[in-house]
Amino acid sequence: MFKLKLLLILLLFFVGIAYTNEQYVENSLLEKIYKKYKIYAKKRFLLLQETLDNVRDKSDLEKLEAVNDFYNEVRYSSDIKTYGKSDYWATPWEFLGKDKGDCEDYVISKYFALKYLGVDYKKLFFTYVRSTKFKEPHMVLTYFETPKSEPLILDNNNRKIFPASQRKDLIPIYNFNGDILDKANKSNEKSHKKWDELKLNMQRKKI
Amino acid sequence: MTLYKQTALILSLFLLIILSTVLILNFQSANKGVQDRLYEDAKNTATSLSLSLGGANGDISIMSTMINANFDSGNYRKITLVDVENNLLYERVLESDIVVVPKWFTQLITLRAPIASANVSAGWSQVGILHVQSDSTYAYKQLHSILIDLLVYFVIIALLSLIAINLLLHAVLKPLKEVQKQASAITQNEFIIQDNIPYTKELADVVVGMNNMISKVKAMFDKGNEELKAQKELEYTDENTQLKNRKYLIDKLPAYLKIDASYEGGVNMLVAFNGILEANEKIGHKLVDKLFVTIADIFKQNTKDIQESIVARINGTEFSLFLPNYSGSDAIELAKSIQEHCLNLIDSAGLDQKETFICIGIYEYNHQDSISKLFSRSDNALAQAKFNQEHIYIEKAESAVEVMGKEAWKLLINDAIEKEKFSFISWSVIDTKKRKLAHNVLSINLVLDKNSSYSYAQFMAPAIQSGLSSEIYKKIVHMLFNNSLTFLNASAYSLRLPQEYLEKQDTYHDFSELLRVNAAMLPFKLIIELPDKLVRQDSKNIREYVELFRRYGIEIGVFEFIAESNDYQYLQSLRPVYIKAESNYFITQSDRSISSLRLITDSVGISLIAVGVSDMEMLKMLKEKDIHIVQGMVTESIELN
Repeated sequence: MFKLKLLLILLLFFVGIAYTNEQYVENSLLEKIYKKYKIYAKKRFLLLQETLDNVRDKSDLEKLEAVNDFYNEVRYSSDIKTYGKSDYWATPWEFLGKDKGDCEDYVISKYFALKYLGVDYKKLFFTYVRSTKFKEPHMVLTYFETPKSEPLILDNNNRKIFPASQRKDLIPIYNFNGDILDKANKSNEKSHKKWDELKLNMQRKKI
Repeated sequence: MTLYKQTALILSLFLLIILSTVLILNFQSANKGVQDRLYEDAKNTATSLSLSLGGANGDISIMSTMINANFDSGNYRKITLVDVENNLLYERVLESDIVVVPKWFTQLITLRAPIASANVSAGWSQVGILHVQSDSTYAYKQLHSILIDLLVYFVIIALLSLIAINLLLHAVLKPLKEVQKQASAITQNEFIIQDNIPYTKELADVVVGMNNMISKVKAMFDKGNEELKAQKELEYTDENTQLKNRKYLIDKLPAYLKIDASYEGGVNMLVAFNGILEANEKIGHKLVDKLFVTIADIFKQNTKDIQESIVARINGTEFSLFLPNYSGSDAIELAKSIQEHCLNLIDSAGLDQKETFICIGIYEYNHQDSISKLFSRSDNALAQAKFNQEHIYIEKAESAVEVMGKEAWKLLINDAIEKEKFSFISWSVIDTKKRKLAHNVLSINLVLDKNSSYSYAQFMAPAIQSGLSSEIYKKIVHMLFNNSLTFLNASAYSLRLPQEYLEKQDTYHDFSELLRVNAAMLPFKLIIELPDKLVRQDSKNIREYVELFRRYGIEIGVFEFIAESNDYQYLQSLRPVYIKAESNYFITQSDRSISSLRLITDSVGISLIAVGVSDMEMLKMLKEKDIHIVQGMVTESIELN
């Protein structure tokens, strides 16, 4: 009798955990991704979920590394090749579904995955940089431990995370965080053209 | 409310709702556009300024200068720079408003200038957030100008659309107006056949139906007209001589033997042929009849110049020459001439003047005589003539015992006219079938003082003799229109107007002026009664009166009707509300004549009223002739519902 009660309590405990641990990509969306991008895409999303689940209770740095490593496996492809547009900010589901994208797409996917893992969004910025190596505009995700501290750079070209001072090949131009702007100005639905468009696509679950 | 007005109202309402909605939507859209523009401007400034601020490497003084430069050169309400912990680093706020639009507009329209934000960074490190809000003053100005433009277009479009609706409705409802015209003509017993059948099926059906109905009613009227004309020949004409008969004379006499007759008197000449039996034996019926025809021509020839004279064959051997306004001495001369002509004819016919001769009795009548008196006195004169050597005898009416001399009457009446010493009295005309008052007939008294007055019968005869009757009518018509409040107890009053008054030159003008000023204030329905002998002439004068009365809603009645017209179309164009005739006229008419008259009057909605109904026996006889509306002494003994 005691064993049965214990079993019941444990069962309820695990069900509770499963219920509170909301999936990064819910099942219905996963089915749609499967229908559109077939089985490998689904597997990629399952692997992503697994990666995220593995670091759920880890430090920010471990979360950054896991997410950075996972997404840096995706192939680089320009927007014009992937979407037929010169510049397009893809949703995380489009990016991983197609398994390709350009620098903004890496930044977006990493940002939302880290947000899902509970990293404070105020520490994360979309940073417009100039790559001296490739001599072209580029975007990286930056992580500020504190507002005044030196940021860590999550880049898709250089796959490892380095502090900003070690990335001489990048010249920072402009930091941007849509969530911060949205919160700062609640009366306005708009804050940044590309960000607003991305938010809309996220709401519509664009895959 | 007419269909046109209802449709126009609904369409105009719809139009105004649609236009107002479009106006509001347009304005809201413009409002949103202006707000979007305000945000876009603010956003562009926020982004470009935040990029510039990045170059200041966190130096507040440089950043403040940059913000000042931007703020002063553009239209901004507020630019704020906060650090990453939301502490204020620098702020510029617009301190005064430039008034460019009316105050009511800013109170009415809420314009929210959105705040645009941008992150500010210096190298890898963050500086804070920049908030920019544009100044809405110029947006208000822009919106105000848009609103004015929209209102101007709204008014122009509304006016053009209302004009278009008006024209369109007029075009669409034009056939309906014609239909309505025809329908109201039917209500007023007018016969209008619509030749243009409307295109709209429903209206076409109505018009065809009404045309059909009108044709039938018109046919009914025409049939009555033809029959009554034919009956007139039978009722009033002597078959042999084509002269009028005794019945005609009797029906016609009331118009001459009345208080307010046009002529004070005249003569009635009875011409009797003696020895006709012998003549018949001698030359035969046919030749004697021919002789009478020739003699009838002599009567006509000799009286043709005497105004309103009536020549009638009373019986097989007697003729009556009724000559109003003709003196006794002239009558003797005329009698002698007629006698001479007749004797010559008798002679030419091969008859003996001693056996076959004529006697002429002349009675010089007075307009106050009764018909029976006229006939008995004329018979008496004729009887005297038979024993007279010349076979001509004249009998004069006794002079009435005058209460006052002619001059005294004239003074009294003139005084009454000047001081308006007349008072209205009325008596009832009753519909005995419904037991209801049909209308009241107005008459006048000449008031001397509180206790004494002269009745119409007393003062009118001397007034006519003095030539003052038209003046009296002029005065009482004025009094009727100006002091009519005393007659509020009934809804309809009739006033009889004599021919002499109506034919006076200034009467029409006076009447039109009176109606123009007072018609709308008349507190009762007025019916003007016109004599049949005047209206059947269908003269220009009468048409003008009828037109005038109709214009002011005054109805017309006809009196002294005896159905002696050659055509009754005048009743259709005149459309009186009623026809009044002597009760004796209705009683003595054949059923066929009455039914012919009924065909006419029923088809145009005219009531028949018998006047001078004195007792219940007469009323009973009238009812047998289907005459139910009566006037006279009998009305006092009829109880009303």
